Amino acid sequence: MTRFFVFLKWTALLAVIASLTACGAYSNGMLNPKGFITFEERKLFFDTLALMLIVVIPVIIMSLTFVYHYRASHRTDQYKPNWSHSYFLESLWWGIPFVIILVLGILTLKKTHELDPYRPVIGHHEKPLMIQVIALPWKWLFIYPEQNIATVNYLEVPVGQQIEFWITADNAPMSAFFIPQLGSQIYAMSGMRTRLFLSADQTGDFLGMNTLFNGDGFAEMQFVTHVVTPEQMTQWVNNVKKSHDPLTDAIYTTLLTPTINDKSRSFSEAPTHLFYNVINTYQSSTGRYHPRSNGEKWIKES
Amino acid sequence: MLTNLIFGNLTLEAIPFHNPIIMGAGLFMVLIAVGIVGLITYYRKWTYILNDWVFSVDHKKIGIMYLILAFVMLLRGFSDVVLMRSQQAIAAGAHHGYLPPEHFDQVFTAHGVIMIFFVAMPMMFALLNMAVPLQIGARDVAYPYLNSLSFWLTFVGAMLCNISLVVGDFAATGWLAYPPLSEIYYSPTAGVDYYIWSLQIAGFGTLFGGINFIATILKMRCPGMTLMKMPIFVWSVLCTMILVALAFPVLTVTLALLELDRFFGMHFFTDFAGGNSMLYINLIWVWGHPEVYILILPAFGIFSEVVATFSQKKLFGYTTMVWAIAIITLLSFIVWLHHFFTMGTGANVNAFFGIMTMLIAIPTGVKIFNWLFTMYRGQIILATPLLWVIAFFTTFAIGGMTGVMMAVPPVDFQVHNSLFLVAHFHNVIIGGVLFGFFAGIIYWFPKAFGFMLDEKWGKRSFVFWVVGFYLAFMPLYIIGLDGFMRRTYHYNNVAYQPYLLVAALGAFCVMIGILCMIIQLYVSIKNREALRDRTGDPWNGRTLEWSVASPAPLYNFAVIPTANEIDSFWYDKQRHLAEGHVHPKDLHFHPIHMPKNTPAGFVIAIFAGIAGFALVWHMLIPGIIGIVGMVAAWVGKTFSTDTDYYIDAETVKETELAHMKQMI
Repeated sequence: MTRFFVFLKWTALLAVIASLTACGAYSNGMLNPKGFITFEERKLFFDTLALMLIVVIPVIIMSLTFVYHYRASHRTDQYKPNWSHSYFLESLWWGIPFVIILVLGILTLKKTHELDPYRPVIGHHEKPLMIQVIALPWKWLFIYPEQNIATVNYLEVPVGQQIEFWITADNAPMSAFFIPQLGSQIYAMSGMRTRLFLSADQTGDFLGMNTLFNGDGFAEMQFVTHVVTPEQMTQWVNNVKKSHDPLTDAIYTTLLTPTINDKSRSFSEAPTHLFYNVINTYQSSTGRYHPRSNGEKWIKES
Repeated sequence: MLTNLIFGNLTLEAIPFHNPIIMGAGLFMVLIAVGIVGLITYYRKWTYILNDWVFSVDHKKIGIMYLILAFVMLLRGFSDVVLMRSQQAIAAGAHHGYLPPEHFDQVFTAHGVIMIFFVAMPMMFALLNMAVPLQIGARDVAYPYLNSLSFWLTFVGAMLCNISLVVGDFAATGWLAYPPLSEIYYSPTAGVDYYIWSLQIAGFGTLFGGINFIATILKMRCPGMTLMKMPIFVWSVLCTMILVALAFPVLTVTLALLELDRFFGMHFFTDFAGGNSMLYINLIWVWGHPEVYILILPAFGIFSEVVATFSQKKLFGYTTMVWAIAIITLLSFIVWLHHFFTMGTGANVNAFFGIMTMLIAIPTGVKIFNWLFTMYRGQIILATPLLWVIAFFTTFAIGGMTGVMMAVPPVDFQVHNSLFLVAHFHNVIIGGVLFGFFAGIIYWFPKAFGFMLDEKWGKRSFVFWVVGFYLAFMPLYIIGLDGFMRRTYHYNNVAYQPYLLVAALGAFCVMIGILCMIIQLYVSIKNREALRDRTGDPWNGRTLEWSVASPAPLYNFAVIPTANEIDSFWYDKQRHLAEGHVHPKDLHFHPIHMPKNTPAGFVIAIFAGIAGFALVWHMLIPGIIGIVGMVAAWVGKTFSTDTDYYIDAETVKETELAHMKQMI
């Protein structure tokens, strides 16, 4: 038995070392925030953790010490088999959790408003960069309506400027748009528009992903978010515009076909009102067949 | 034409002959079935099996059958774990593992469905049937035939889900089958239909069970046992069953609407032509969140019984415990939206549901402190049921903590749908529900079977389960924070791999824990004479179930007991000890009125299964046979007047005397 516990101890130690090394090496989640929203959310995460530990740590300690101290083999003269009620103690453990939840509740109310995805990023008063996002099977299409360009599985945004995303889906089941290091996640649903504000505080490449399971290609429905300086951004936009590779209706139709692991690409022009048209296609559809089906079922790539 | 009417969409192509894993698993299931049938035939036990078990309306036997179903399905659900954990342990970077996504998707869907509906729920009903009527001093449940029907519907639902492994496929949608993915356009195969019909059939079983136990608890308590004198387990069951009765109809209606979409091309939840999938997500969680409490509340009840018994001390704060359960019951209906803060709801709505969710932590915390102070100044016996409770305290505290953290909407915006979430709900469902049910099974095992479970192997399985649990889920918390999403069959970032290897090691430990349980069962059966419980009260219990023989006689109580206080059996024993002698029992036995066994429940469920299978494959003729057979059996049963009988006083006397002799 002792040998077994020694083995356990070493396993635990190894596990902790392994986690720390890997954590430091690379993180594309909230532990490594690169935008105001994620930074705030991480802070809130640890605040909540601390508040909860006020109760959780005593519970763990008490559960172990009580069992140790009052075990039957350890005779104490404190055995009180009928003691089962105390107004003082019971009001204590109704009261303390209540106070903690009260504090947490007020914090929640405040922060939920501040970090509402539909609300411009706090402290940013500049005009947001608008990007329209369409979740396609299983890739992301990004339209920059003001620049009149579009990209697939690739997002280029300027550092420091807040970005407003309009999000929908086309020929894809409900999905979710998420760049963990920059901001919150929000669902993408066909026939509807959801919104999300975020901002990047540092340049670099950050992973974007789909978080809501939507079929076989779900795991690979990822994209790179390239955060650059405003100058680089302007230059990139100009380069894309010069490429003379417009997103035509025909190309859009091919994008609607379910595919996995698409390469990223960019288009020098996007059809006007594509985003609105996509939503309208679902809003105004009638009848038995899916607007993208022509009477067929959704094609699954095998 | 006739072929089409009989077989509908089902063709031989639905059976994946080319896939050796599936065919192997299918062959294995067929072999086991043939083996069981062969053994029964060989030993000529068919009449015994049918009359004494299959047609039985005895709550004790139905409880045992629920337990067997739960354990068999646990093995099935756990084999899914082995597949998923090994796939994720190797599918990093350039490697894509051995499961293609369309297979992996079915595996995690089946895992969730099986573990919730066909492991946790049957295990809960097993414990209810084993304990509740005995604890309230009743001779059976209120509706014994309905109880049999409940079990067989659950059983048929589970089998329908199992058939999908070999014939056709299972849903590849996640365990709640969110539309529009689960709609006919995105999921054209029979998988989602299997999902719908197995849950519909099992769901009716659960609903009937809920109604049955509400009636039992409200109407069949023994004299003297007022509501506030009921054992706390019975209180938790009453609240749970109220949740079942209110929540399961929502599930039934939601799945029926989804099936209308799929079968008739309607548009309740489609993503076009006026359908609204957000409605489904709301409805399914209006059922789904109470469902979580349907599982955990009976476990809370078990903890209360086990802590008091093994601390040899009265449960601390009975009244607050009851209020805590009642408050959790109410709150569980107004928190469902916390499952989708990220659907675009406004800040005020999100904050409301977040705060409501946090409020649940208060009564839950109260319960934990009451249990701790039940142990305080007790004399704690470290038997295996209590070990599970001790592991529960730490595990559940961590799980509850992460639950409250995710109730804060902005935190949820980061961790929603990540492995952090997966770790959280396994933390509460394994650490809370499963540990509780294990404690309950070991605790009531002697009452159901007449002998105790082996302690040594019980402790071994306990150690492996707990260590395995922490190894399997703590790494998931970490990579969940690092942006690793649930339901991914492959990931590009190889930095995640060490964590998933540790998680796989944890699953392996749990597997050893399950193996230890099987050995424990085998060893206990082998040594059953040495482990036999002759007194009927092996743990020095506090409630009425321990006042009768183990296993309890068919009629439970020869004379209906009276309970004048909480833990009346304990105080009776104390009084006898103080007086130095036992009051001679009332030996004037009377004939006992008992329900007769009936095949009706089994027959109705089998026809329901035929109807379900026919609906999955759109088979017209078998569908009509199934539905007509179901209705005919049900109507036929209502005309039967031969439903009850009397056990004569002489038989009762002999049984009771035999038990008394055994005690001496």
